[in-house]
Amino acid sequence: MIEFQLDETSGVATYLQLVQQVHQALRMGMLEPGDQLPTAQQVVAQLAINPNTVHKAYRELERAGLARARPGLGTFITRSPSATDPATQARFLAAMTDWLRSARSAGLGPDDIEAIYRTAFRACFAEGAA
Amino acid sequence: MTAAIEASGLGKAYRRTWALRDCTLAIPGGHVVGLVGPNGAGKTTLLRLATGQLTPTRGTISVLGEPPAVSPAQLARVGYVAQDTPVYARMRVADHLRLGAWLNPGWDDELAQRRIAQVGLDPKQRGGSLSGGQRAQLALTLALAKRPELLLLDEPVAGLDPLARREFLRGLMAAVAEHGTSVVLSSHLVTDLERVCDYLIVLVASRVRIAGEVSELLASHRRLSGPSRDPGTLPAGQDVIEERHTDKQSTLLVRTGEPIHDPAWTVTPVSMEELVLAYMNPANDIPARRPQLGVAS
Amino acid sequence: MIRLTWLQFRTQAVTAAAALAAFAVLLAATGPHMASLYAASGLSGCHGSSCLSPATYFTASLARSPYGVLFLLSTGIILLAPAVIGLFWGAPLIARELETGTAALVWNQSVTRTRWLAVKLAIGGLTAMAVTEALSLMQTWWAVPISQAVADGSGAGVAQSRFSQLNFATHGITPLGYAAFAFALGVTAGALIRRTFPAMAVTLAIFAALQVAMPLWVRPNLAPPDRTVIPVTSLGGAGPSQTGPGGDTFTLYALNIPGQPGAWLLSSGPVNAAGQPVSTTPAACTSVGNTGQSAGAQGNAFPPGQGPAAFVDCLGRHGIRETITYQPASRYWPFQWTETAIYLALALALAGYCFRRLNRRRS
Repeated sequence: MIEFQLDETSGVATYLQLVQQVHQALRMGMLEPGDQLPTAQQVVAQLAINPNTVHKAYRELERAGLARARPGLGTFITRSPSATDPATQARFLAAMTDWLRSARSAGLGPDDIEAIYRTAFRACFAEGAA
Repeated sequence: MTAAIEASGLGKAYRRTWALRDCTLAIPGGHVVGLVGPNGAGKTTLLRLATGQLTPTRGTISVLGEPPAVSPAQLARVGYVAQDTPVYARMRVADHLRLGAWLNPGWDDELAQRRIAQVGLDPKQRGGSLSGGQRAQLALTLALAKRPELLLLDEPVAGLDPLARREFLRGLMAAVAEHGTSVVLSSHLVTDLERVCDYLIVLVASRVRIAGEVSELLASHRRLSGPSRDPGTLPAGQDVIEERHTDKQSTLLVRTGEPIHDPAWTVTPVSMEELVLAYMNPANDIPARRPQLGVAS
Repeated sequence: MIRLTWLQFRTQAVTAAAALAAFAVLLAATGPHMASLYAASGLSGCHGSSCLSPATYFTASLARSPYGVLFLLSTGIILLAPAVIGLFWGAPLIARELETGTAALVWNQSVTRTRWLAVKLAIGGLTAMAVTEALSLMQTWWAVPISQAVADGSGAGVAQSRFSQLNFATHGITPLGYAAFAFALGVTAGALIRRTFPAMAVTLAIFAALQVAMPLWVRPNLAPPDRTVIPVTSLGGAGPSQTGPGGDTFTLYALNIPGQPGAWLLSSGPVNAAGQPVSTTPAACTSVGNTGQSAGAQGNAFPPGQGPAAFVDCLGRHGIRETITYQPASRYWPFQWTETAIYLALALALAGYCFRRLNRRRS
């Protein structure tokens, strides 16, 4: 079963962090359709967070079609996230690698690159932009 | 969901000073409510009014739809942990549980014994020799085992070390997850509240500065930074809560209902800690807005 | 709530039981011996006025023995018991809960403050009354020989009528009233002052003041006292005193009232034929020298026509009589009931005030 982490300094809302970690786990193959997500009580016992946060995260996953709550049984993964097939992923991985190479030869160090990435990432996802 | 606590124009005065004034709230049930404010802001007064230990000087308060402490049945629905988590110094832990069993018809002894064992308390130990964290856990057990619908906690973690604090919150959240208890938790420490609270009340100098669901508050506040500008030039509907200016740059914290379209501003979300600090700062004038009396869903 | 009260009351109850046991042991160990002393003094077989002399001898000799000390000690314990109870059971009842903050713990359980206080007051108050009355009854049993001697007419040493100040307060039912009042006073002081030690001090001060004021000013007037005038020659015991040689002033006091055994003597003094208080020696009697001390110095012989008896005769011949104000013995039990009722009423009033105070919730 997946074990959640909480990064208090990231500035990302707790429920979003849980959602992202489920997405990540699905991508890495640590979660598969049919697996049960931890119950709110289990998450709460581990992280000491508000159980409503867990419910909110799971509702978000349900809305995205990734999970489904079965009353009395728990919340289960229904399918992997679609919209990105391996070919698309490979394309973006190549584009990212090129970008990193040119940034490096332009003299940017790892911290600069990270800062640029985080700024762009926040701007893109924070406002809920599609 | 029934409102956990409803207050209308609630005020409490001691001799000539007002400990709480013009307090109008509709705290929804099923939430973990953070009651934040500096020392002396009126948090303890509000909680003691809610438990019926004080009678209002002005206004009204009702808890779970009834006046506070109006009957043993109403007392059974509300659990309370006072500041400094008092316990009887010469009574053993096991005796405290017996006290709970004798005085509460709804006492869940199995839960109490399980919790005591879980947190590692020795039933034979006397209250006076418990550490602060152990006392807090005992007090919390007493409050939880009577199976209340609403739990009121007055700065229960203030005197605890970080580990004890985390353990206390863990136990509290586990109880909320298991029983759906509504919680009102007062504190002057902001960091712990971010993990556990989904409803926020900021109390400063005996007045409520802001109250609302955390998600809604975070959605309706933005940090704006950009070239130096007079905040009066902002459109109506964007209220400035906090402003800082250098000769080159202005940074504003605004409350707004609509998205910000002005390209001159860099708009970033506000964290709960920043929000609370801005509202707690007595130097900031909070512009008035229509009070929301409805229970937020 | 009852079980909780006993749980919190455990230490005090054990202390009280130990004190009662120690008291009982002490009295039980010495009682039989005192009874045998009584028998040895010839009092058990005597009748009527022939008992007066052995009775007087018995109580006077007791006073000089350790039994006299024990009598005073046990009387003192009974007098102090209500105060101790008020201080250590009453004052901390509410004050300690407020001081330590446990009031916020216990009053937010599913029990109203009224019920909490009612049970605590009932158990504490009834136990207080039982303990104090038990002490009193034990001493009454132990002191039976002494009260027999008093009934036989002795007024010496440890013999005092049951109507006297000390005995009235330590026997009968008055200890019940004192205990209930002291306890209620302690609880009220704790509720008002909210701190245990100051509450204890205030309780002690007020209780002591009342225990002094009651026998001095209230009890003598619970019913209008009786008054009688008797010839000075029938005064029993010590008589005149005199200032200066030749004796211009005198006073006479009575130690008992002839024909009124067991009465409470409030005051006495000489009056002239017209019934007015008098302190100037009649001219004819000033030459009849006397005083108690010269008699002792010269042995017990006075020149004929001199001495205390002659002086008293002379006064009597000149119309001097003794007036006595007293409460007759028949009023003993009515006074007991009245005084106890007063203290119980005070206790109930204080208790009622505590309920109102506890529910006031102003701070």
